[in-house]
Amino acid sequence: MEQKIYDVVVVGSGAGGGTLSSRLAQLGADVLVLEGGPKVNTRTDFNTHALPFEFPSRHIPIMKPGKPGYDAERSRGLGGKTMLWNAVALRFSQRDFKGRQHDGAGEDWPFDYSEIAPYYDRVERQVGVCGNLDHLKDLPDGVFLPPVPLKCTDIAIQKGAAKLGVKVIQVRKATLTRARETRPACHFCGNCMSGCDVAAKYNSLDAHMVPALKTGKLTLQQNSIVYELPVSDEAKIKEVRYFDRETRAEGVARGRVVVVACACAQSVALLLMSKSSRFPNGLANSSGELGKNFIPHITAGIELFLKDFIGKPEVNDEGFLDHAYIPSFMHDRKRDYPRSFGVQFNYQNHRSAGWARSMKGMGKSYKESIKARYPAYVTFTGYHEMLPNKDSYIDLDTETLDAYGLPRPRRHWKLADDDWRLHNDMIRWCRAILEASNAEIHSSTPQPATNHEVGGCRMGTDPKRSVVNEFCRAHDVPNLYVVDASVFPSSSEKNPTLTIMALAERTADHIAQRLKKGEA
Amino acid sequence: MPSYSSDRRSVLKIFGAIGATCAYPFASDELFGQTAPPHHHPAVQSTAAEHFLNDTDFKTISRIADLIIPETDTPGAIGAGVPDYIDMVISRNLDHQTIVADGLRWLDAEARRTNEKPFMELDEHQQVGILEPLCEAADANPANPARTVGFFALLKSLTADGYYTSKIGLIDELGYSGNAARESYPVCSDMKHG
Repeated sequence: MEQKIYDVVVVGSGAGGGTLSSRLAQLGADVLVLEGGPKVNTRTDFNTHALPFEFPSRHIPIMKPGKPGYDAERSRGLGGKTMLWNAVALRFSQRDFKGRQHDGAGEDWPFDYSEIAPYYDRVERQVGVCGNLDHLKDLPDGVFLPPVPLKCTDIAIQKGAAKLGVKVIQVRKATLTRARETRPACHFCGNCMSGCDVAAKYNSLDAHMVPALKTGKLTLQQNSIVYELPVSDEAKIKEVRYFDRETRAEGVARGRVVVVACACAQSVALLLMSKSSRFPNGLANSSGELGKNFIPHITAGIELFLKDFIGKPEVNDEGFLDHAYIPSFMHDRKRDYPRSFGVQFNYQNHRSAGWARSMKGMGKSYKESIKARYPAYVTFTGYHEMLPNKDSYIDLDTETLDAYGLPRPRRHWKLADDDWRLHNDMIRWCRAILEASNAEIHSSTPQPATNHEVGGCRMGTDPKRSVVNEFCRAHDVPNLYVVDASVFPSSSEKNPTLTIMALAERTADHIAQRLKKGEA
Repeated sequence: MPSYSSDRRSVLKIFGAIGATCAYPFASDELFGQTAPPHHHPAVQSTAAEHFLNDTDFKTISRIADLIIPETDTPGAIGAGVPDYIDMVISRNLDHQTIVADGLRWLDAEARRTNEKPFMELDEHQQVGILEPLCEAADANPANPARTVGFFALLKSLTADGYYTSKIGLIDELGYSGNAARESYPVCSDMKHG
């Protein structure tokens, strides 16, 4: 029997793959999504409402007993990371797309904010993003649902920050504050990052793919771990090779177009694994840039107690984790480094008090000091951009294979002098804001950490310096696209997911046009 | 010098536990019992007959936990079942077993040296007199290399983890009231912080 040739085969079903595949199916393309992880039912499979004492280990497992998913790096389940994200949805600004023009360092994107703005609009309308119209130059407003009120503890920090001329805004999240047809509004149970069992928080399965399945044009195939994309003599992807996560049975899928959307490091790893005589250093890697330019967000975190709340009665202010955000402000101030930072804070939930371990003392006074500080506890984490450098890259660990016998992606990163200046200034500002907010610092992360993987498969106009073009299409392979944060030429300090989704919409339209014209 | 290359193995337990999600710096607060992969062991049902520690050691551990978090207007560590939790975590971790065995041996030797009785036969004042210097040393330097300090720091961590994740600790003592559905989120002036 002749195997079906899809218009588009998409590898991965998260923010990138889920958005793109749904858009293409809505436009009438025949789409197959291959997902390495098992099927997940958001309504029944997560321990969203569990409390720690229900488990002997006191650790709340993500999944209910017998429900697979999220058990390894390569098999996250349908929906990818959007199942467990915190849903912060920020638009990048013109400065973020043209950082080099703004402060003379790093890399520009090949297009302006105005080019992608309509796609942000479209994504926000589809998925529902709550937020306030803040009229900030560096954090463009969007099409928002009503924002959620600040917590009392947020307001204390808002007042403190204001003393330094720093603005605290209501957070923007892809979480419904008004019910939609198939998704209710958030009910503020406070456990967003353990899987939202009503799908008020965006996940790509419930918000994008389930509606698209009704077109009959979208096929979801889970448990299919893609390990190689072989190329033909014309440098096109011939087929997509995968094996079944459970049985290890091998299979192939064919599509006119192949989209890799496995979440940054995994996408880079898949291309690096797909070596051939034509591409001995990895697929679509004639530039040698594949894996390079890894620019994750760099963070520094502080745990603190707001003195004005110590000893106050505990109230239920869990909400939907963080309700506030400190947008970038340094980009407009005098500084001795390029780029900037933003701060996410008050994102803890109150289901535990891990900080009690490191409170001083023992006995009655120890117990009392913890109770007194419980309503006053706040987390506070700055996020900053880093610029590409030669020591920050993704490669394959070919010696310690994963459970499927595949090499693992290895992340290497190192801050350059400019990054360190930015990092240290971010910490100074965080501490100054907290001091102005009458905070008692409890702990600080001892060294920089990464979050939000970005880069490794850079987008650009010059095929010698980038892997994909402005439509996320590989320079070397005309029917290959990469749609996730690996293609970002610069990371901004803003959370990447909304931009991944806008890029996916734009790329989907581009692919649909090519299919229509018979170019693919 | 710290290396900033991500060592996947060292982060694996955290990824495994929080599902490779956005790794917020303090998300690991929730990873109690994190030193062993939770899914690779059968759940330990805590009944007195099935303790990992022998009876004497279990009683001593219980006593220390109750001195760290005593009964006030809410139950202390023993009342909240914390010793069972500590026993379960220790049973899954060889390093902890060594630290606890050494620590308990030292504790009795120290009790005999200072008060000529085993630890469990001392009065509360005497017991606290032995533990408090360890507590102060651990507070001053959480990475204090002294094994006795490490022993106390381990028991304090396990006691805090076990107590504040118990129903008594989280609900009765701290007053956790979340995890409830609400129609809308109140503005601050409608919340009662006293």
